[in-house]
Order: sequence, then structure tokens, then C-alpha cells
Amino acid sequence: MRRVNSTRIPKPQADRPAIAGSRAARGRCVVIAAALLIAGMCCFAAQAPTSSSQQVVVIKQMHFDPSTLNVKAGDTVEWKNEDIFSHTVTANDGSFDSGLIAPGSSWRTTIRKTGSIAYHCRPHPNMAAELIAQQGAAHGQHEHGGTQDEEHGQGSLRWSPPKKPDEIHPILVNFTAALLPLALLSDLLGRLFRRPGLHAAGAWIMVYEAAITPLTVLAGWWWKSAQPNQLPAKLITVHQWLGTGAALLFIVLAAWRWRFHNRAVPPSWTYLAVALVALVALIYQGSLGGAMVFGQ
Amino acid sequence: MKKLVSTVVGFAFTLSVGAIAHAQAPTDPQIVGIVQTANRIDISQARLALRKSTNPQVKEFANQMISDHTALEKSVSDLANKLGVKEEPSDTATQLKQQAAEETKKLSALKGKDFDREYASHEIAYHQAVIDAATSTLIPNAKNAELKSALQGAAPLLQGHLQHAQQLQQSLQGGSSSGR
Repeated sequence: MRRVNSTRIPKPQADRPAIAGSRAARGRCVVIAAALLIAGMCCFAAQAPTSSSQQVVVIKQMHFDPSTLNVKAGDTVEWKNEDIFSHTVTANDGSFDSGLIAPGSSWRTTIRKTGSIAYHCRPHPNMAAELIAQQGAAHGQHEHGGTQDEEHGQGSLRWSPPKKPDEIHPILVNFTAALLPLALLSDLLGRLFRRPGLHAAGAWIMVYEAAITPLTVLAGWWWKSAQPNQLPAKLITVHQWLGTGAALLFIVLAAWRWRFHNRAVPPSWTYLAVALVALVALIYQGSLGGAMVFGQ
Repeated sequence: MKKLVSTVVGFAFTLSVGAIAHAQAPTDPQIVGIVQTANRIDISQARLALRKSTNPQVKEFANQMISDHTALEKSVSDLANKLGVKEEPSDTATQLKQQAAEETKKLSALKGKDFDREYASHEIAYHQAVIDAATSTLIPNAKNAELKSALQGAAPLLQGHLQHAQQLQQSLQGGSSSGR
């Protein structure tokens, strides 16, 4: 039985999508399967441990041991006070200060910049040591060491065209992250206010999303291939496949959405539900990217 | 002028403690007695600073002296008990107490910034004197290897306090010059 809705203005009874028979049903199954795949990947990713490592400096007999520690941006460093006196871990540039760490206690911080980070104990200024932070996932574009990185860490105001994948990917990510919620919001508002214009916006924005996200994914893969072993292995594996899956799903969603648009009907609740699942996956994907860039 | 007086007094104090420590070779029980006396003196003067000073930096320094020297005192006490060494009086310990009593009297008469400056200046001289005495007399004369090692281990702490006191003094001088 075929049911075609030719009404251009959405009505309550017209909210059911006019889907053509078994072909449309198959399409819906594919999309639902894709959504389940994404959701499954989310569950898998949620169980994957983070791979930013933790390093330990022992404070003992008025010394930091080791006195020089190589870390990567994004690593967490823990200072264990095994001395009989209280000490502080105070960066010379003021970027961190533990406060007094009592004997037997410890303190940790995540290193967010690269270069040499000298630190000392405030009550015992003769206790001095340093961290040498190499570029990790967080600072792929900062390839220089030494004190120059203090400037990098604080960000330069000078603009230069993005050329490297680790510059391009974060820019494209903004579009991917913004367009999907906007498309969904437009459709939801369109249903709420029964405004065809909002539905048209929802359709077009979804097409933009489907067009831009593969570029975002490509830039991400480029980043990974350009800097092998510098990104947290487990996080990046989940991130790259979830991203790739999302790009494919967005293409399917855009095609599906465009069919509603061509028929000038509002998108079905099924479509909106799948788009919502995709949005949740996208938020999780963003949190993984953030974890790699900014540490835990 | 006050700074000059403090420096001269500190220098005299250093010479005095150094001379006492050099005068005779202390035994292990006397070394323990000297170290514990030095700890207690610094704790006592830090408590005085906590009562009299309103400067947060001075109070922070004083709290650290109490915390560190209390820990050091306990550590030396535990070691002495373990080694079966009972602290004994000595001329050096007696002289340290007399000097401390004079300094306490002097500090008690001072107030505000004058107190803070004198306290910082004295802490510099005191820690320098104790470091000198430990290096030149106490460590070389310690017979027990563990006691010797413990004294050597305490040297970085005293050096740290000396530097901290020097920073405090500079900070106090900076504050006074900008405030006037």
C-alpha cells in the first residue's frame, strides 16, 4: 500500500513520512544499523583506557628524583613526597604551584605546554629540577624546544595560513561540530513552529555537514600519518574510526534528509532520532579529540 | 644603617659559633646535643616570629622553620634512640643557648618591620653559622657512620633555609624601599 503525502505545509497527520514501500524500509534499516554501529563504537570507546601516561617524581632527602624528567604534553606528572619535610612543586614561571605537600602525600598535574619547565621548592629554593616536555598530541605544531615554547604555550596572536594537518583538522572540526546540531535544531524548531523554511534550512545544513565532515576526517588521518606515535595510540584509534563512521553516517543522513526535502515534507521522527544518536556520538568524538589535545 | 648593624651582628654571631665549634672536638652524644639545641632554638624563635610579625611571608617562613626543624629534631631523636646515644651538654650547646637568649631579648624589643628585618637577618646568620659548624666540626668529628650520614643529609635542608631566609630578606628590603 502506497501512501503519498502531497501537502507542502506540515500538518499533524502529515508528520508521518511518506516513505515508498520496501525500498524506503531498507534504507531506514541501513541507517538504523549505522546508528547502532556508532552507538556500539561509543560503548567500546568508553571502555578504552586513556593512553596519556603518568610519570612520577619522588621527593626524597631534599631532592627531586629524577632532577630532569622527559615528558610529553598531555602527560600527568605525580610528585610523591617521601621526605620527612613538607615541600612544594613550584614552576619558576608561575604556571603551577602545588602548595605544601606533606610528607607521605603526593600531588599531580597535567603538563600542557612544551619546552623546558624549571621548577623548585618554595621553602627550600636550593631544591630545583626541570621537566622537559616534548610535543605530544597537544602541541603537534610546536616543534621547537627551549624557552621559545613559553610563547607557544601562551599562544601567539600572529596569524599564518593553516598548512599542516594539525592546524587544518581543528579548524574543520568546528564546522562538523556546529552543523549537525544546527540541522537537528532547525528541524525540531520547524516541527515545533510548523515552519517549512526551518525544515529547508535543516536539509541544507545537513548537506553541508555531509560535505565538510569527510574533509575533517581526511585532515585527521593526515595528522595521524604525519605524526605517527605522537598521538595516544588507543584514543586515536577510536577517534579515527568513529570519525570515519560518522562521516559516512552523515552522508547517509544527508541523502535521507534530502528525500524529505524533495517531497517538501518534514523529516520523520526516525530520522530525527538517528540524527540525535549521531549528535551524541559526535559529542563523544569531540571529547576524545579534546582529551588528546588538552590532556585528561 | 640598621641593615649594616644587622649584618655586623650576624657576622659576629657566625664567627662566635664557628669559634666555639672549633674549640674542641665534640663526642657523638655532644654532637646530638648541639644539633638538638640548634633545632629547638630555631623553633623557639620561629614561634616568637609567629606571635610578633604580621607579615605573611615572615609567618610562612616561621611556620616552615617550625615544621622542618621539628621533623629534623624527631629524626635525630629517633636515630639517637636507635643508636643508644643520649644527648649530652657541651660548651657549644651552652653558648648557643646564651646567644639565642640574647637574640630573643633583642627580637622581643622590636616591632613591625624592624622585627621582620632583624628576624630575617638573624636567620641568615644563624643558618650560615650552623652550616659552617656542621661542615667544619660536627660532621668530621662524628664517630658513628649513621650519625655522620644523618648530619650530611641535613646539610641541604639548612642550605635551603639559608637561601629561603636570604630571599625573605630581599623581599623585605624591596617592600621597604618601594613603600617609602
